[in-house]
Amino acid sequence: MQLELQNIKKSYGESDNRIEVLKDINLSVEKGEFVVLLGPSGSGKSTLLNIIGGIDNADSGKIIIRGKSMSDMDDKSLTNYRREHLGYIFQMYNLIPNLTVRENIEVGAYLSKNPLDIDEIMGVLGLAEHQNKIPSQLSGGQQQRCAIGRAIVKNPDILLCDEPTGALDYKTSKEILSLIEEVNQKYGNTVIMVTHNDAIKNMADFVVKLRDGVIRKSYRNEAKQKAEELDW
Amino acid sequence: MKNPLNKRLFRELKSDIGKYIVIFILLVLSIGFVSGFLVAGESMIKAYKESFEKYTIENGNFRSEEKLTSSQKEWIEQRGITVYENFYIEKEFNNETTIRIYANREEIDKVCVMDGRLPEKNGEIAIDRMYAENNGLRIGDELSEEGNGYKIVGLVALSDYSALFYSNNDMMFDASAFGVAVVDKEQFEEYLDDGIRYNYSWLYDEEPEDEIQEKDLSDELMEAIAQKVSLENFIPRYLNQSITFTGEDIVGDKAMMEVLLYIIIIITAFVFGITINNTIHKEACVIGTLRASGYTRNELIKHYMEMPLIVTIISAVIGNILGYTFFKNVCVDMYYGSYSLPTYVTIWSSEAFFKTTFIPLVIMIAITHVILRKKLSLSPLKLIRRDISGKKQNNAIKLGNSIRFFDRFRIRILIQNKSSYLILFFGLFFANVLLFFGMMLPPLLIHFQGVVTQSMLAKHIYLFQVPAGAIDTQDQLSAAFSYIFYQNKISTNNPDAEKFSAYSLKTIGENGARVEEVTLYGVIDDSRYIQTDFDEKTVLISSAYEDKYGLKKGDVITLKEPYEDKYYGFKITGTYDYDGGIAVFMSKKHLNETMGLDEEYFSGYFSDSEITDIDSKYIGTTIDEETLTRVSRQLMISMGNLMYMVDGFSIILFIVLIYLLSKLIIERNVQSISMVKILGYSKKEIALLYIMPTAIVVVASLLISYPILSYVMVGVFRVMLKQMMSGWLIIWLDPSVYVKMFLMGLVTYAVTAIIEYRKIGYIPMSEALKNVE
Repeated sequence: MQLELQNIKKSYGESDNRIEVLKDINLSVEKGEFVVLLGPSGSGKSTLLNIIGGIDNADSGKIIIRGKSMSDMDDKSLTNYRREHLGYIFQMYNLIPNLTVRENIEVGAYLSKNPLDIDEIMGVLGLAEHQNKIPSQLSGGQQQRCAIGRAIVKNPDILLCDEPTGALDYKTSKEILSLIEEVNQKYGNTVIMVTHNDAIKNMADFVVKLRDGVIRKSYRNEAKQKAEELDW
Repeated sequence: MKNPLNKRLFRELKSDIGKYIVIFILLVLSIGFVSGFLVAGESMIKAYKESFEKYTIENGNFRSEEKLTSSQKEWIEQRGITVYENFYIEKEFNNETTIRIYANREEIDKVCVMDGRLPEKNGEIAIDRMYAENNGLRIGDELSEEGNGYKIVGLVALSDYSALFYSNNDMMFDASAFGVAVVDKEQFEEYLDDGIRYNYSWLYDEEPEDEIQEKDLSDELMEAIAQKVSLENFIPRYLNQSITFTGEDIVGDKAMMEVLLYIIIIITAFVFGITINNTIHKEACVIGTLRASGYTRNELIKHYMEMPLIVTIISAVIGNILGYTFFKNVCVDMYYGSYSLPTYVTIWSSEAFFKTTFIPLVIMIAITHVILRKKLSLSPLKLIRRDISGKKQNNAIKLGNSIRFFDRFRIRILIQNKSSYLILFFGLFFANVLLFFGMMLPPLLIHFQGVVTQSMLAKHIYLFQVPAGAIDTQDQLSAAFSYIFYQNKISTNNPDAEKFSAYSLKTIGENGARVEEVTLYGVIDDSRYIQTDFDEKTVLISSAYEDKYGLKKGDVITLKEPYEDKYYGFKITGTYDYDGGIAVFMSKKHLNETMGLDEEYFSGYFSDSEITDIDSKYIGTTIDEETLTRVSRQLMISMGNLMYMVDGFSIILFIVLIYLLSKLIIERNVQSISMVKILGYSKKEIALLYIMPTAIVVVASLLISYPILSYVMVGVFRVMLKQMMSGWLIIWLDPSVYVKMFLMGLVTYAVTAIIEYRKIGYIPMSEALKNVE
């Protein structure tokens, strides 16, 4: 078992304004699985992803990663945990504006003792010809590819993706999803992707549907589709 | 693997070159200017201190009516000193100045040749460098008096005249009207029948250990010499203003510069603080993402500290180079413009380095580190969401619909950017502090001249110089005779003349205050000049005394006999309107009684017309308009250059701060500006929304800062002047200075606003689409 969530609860606000965002979430993820957290806005999916990523805290409950409880980790250990095991992709790319594509990917490589080959990654991501461009010279899709490169170059155990196609058009979205799928298959990372796009669930190994902070449904996807076959 | 973030540094520098250039200028100027000043000051002080040994500066001098006989000289030298002839003659030259001419000195008070050479034959003269400069004289020029012409062959500094005091009793020197010079010995021989002054300098065989011992020794010496010689003058070195004034003043200047330095350090630290803050605001999402990816807080703190550190270090290096070259020369010129100092050697000043480079660097590291640590302690999530204020968003402040939409919009911008505007206010305040500092002194000095002239006790005050032999002799009978003789010499037929007695005491330096001289005037009954009824208990202090020490009626002032353990207490019964000095007024009878002087004793005359029938050798000090304003005039000369430099510096600082802070506010609102552009607002409308609030804040900040400034700066000036100077300058703030400062602030802002207005035009609409939550 790579990741296990036990009784995760999270709320925001105080007294009358208190909103329970996550209500007793339990979840187990196997190594190498492609997990999709699906739900409408406000369902708590991004909060759950952030808690898994160690950038937000649960009010109660336990997160166990590779047999180790995250609740026992202090700030420094959490940073180390992210450094060694996690890769992050956001809806917004948050690239460093004055570094080139290659250098932005190096930013991720720097964090790893055994990073993947940057040229290979750029090849996989189709960025080789753009490697000396700065982010403002790239399209949205290219910028997101670069962000993916930055996340995967350190070969993380778990790749967390928060609406990675949220700001992209249909065609580019499918390209990005294909890339993430390829990364998952090629490098064997566990992928946890948050989306509100129902169609994306079809490419997942494991689908978790959230609404109002509760897992309404979770299941292993027996009829897994390739990203390029998706349609919405 | 090297941290790839380092690759950003050069590009960061390139992309925000304007910001870094202004910070660089600010730092280079601060470090260069202050280190130049301190290095010059220390080099000068070292040259000054070393000159005592290097040029064998006398331990004192005395002047006798006649030339000493060899037996007199021998007898005096048995008192533990070596006596050297140091005769001089004073000549009025055709340029209406007086020069005291000495024969070239070889054994004592040696001469430092600054330019040219020493005179070698008749008709040649080497004059004081500063006197030459003030009178536009150069080597090769001719100086003439009563038919005699002298060719100037050298510019010199006489080691016992670093400040060109004509008389040791003068409140201030005047290096335009009085100078010193040396001529060849042969030339000097020719003067021997021509009113030569038999001045002798002495050196102790054993140097006294401290001033108290020096005072005892010199007192004994004076009494001893007076028994054998008719003394006209007797000045031990520690009382000789021509020698000691310079050293004291350079140290005083340093104190002022340090105040300035601390203001600059605060401003610099503050500029770094806002720059860092701005960077974090701008890059919050990136920082959050990097943190989420596993970058540690320390790695990011280190990264964001690199640029300010590099800029500071480069600025420090260049600042120090300029400090030791350009600025040092400027400051040295300033000192040479005030004093007749000998040549100097630039010294490495560890103090200057510590204060101007090390401390700002440490402060910069500390401030940036604290701000970065605080901001980066926010969770990566908060950073990604740009939720970096650290506070929860309160409900929007209600603004009534009766307020026009544009006004409401602007109020919202003011509220939204309140922290930036607060920073802007403090920035402008600090820049104003410096500007105020530089701009208020010249009018204050001019005003002081006017006030002093108006409140003069009399147009002329003559204080006698008691020939040392006349009273301090142990033989009472001969003392009485000499006293009668002396009384006869100091009578006048001038009907305006009014006798008064005077006595000098010193303040006791309470709470670390500077010890200074207080003149006590004893006034006759029904005086025409001090129009107050004096009874036995009346003790009035001068308004300057009252203002300087914050004294009031009923307070008791304690004064002491200089270098003696004798104290006097006076209860203040009122104030007399006199701004010309630190003085106490009482009846003549009261003063003479208190000081144990004869009832008839008097020390000088007040007179509205010049007294011409007393030999000048009996007059020690004359106080008239010229002497009273000499202090402020000399201050204008010696501090004028410094003030202009401070003005220039603060104007640059003002521009830098307004530019940086306005830039910051526009940069923080780039997305909103982009958004309103998309909505269809014109550039002008956007300027009205985003530039106008800043303009309002600038104007309000300027207006609010003036009363605070006045209050604070008067306090600072009081403390500074109290530490720096004897006597007192009435602190007066020229209202026109405020107008000038305000206009300058507005013009500076207008220029910045134009730059920002253009910048608004360049903000792309796509900006609004980036990083939307």
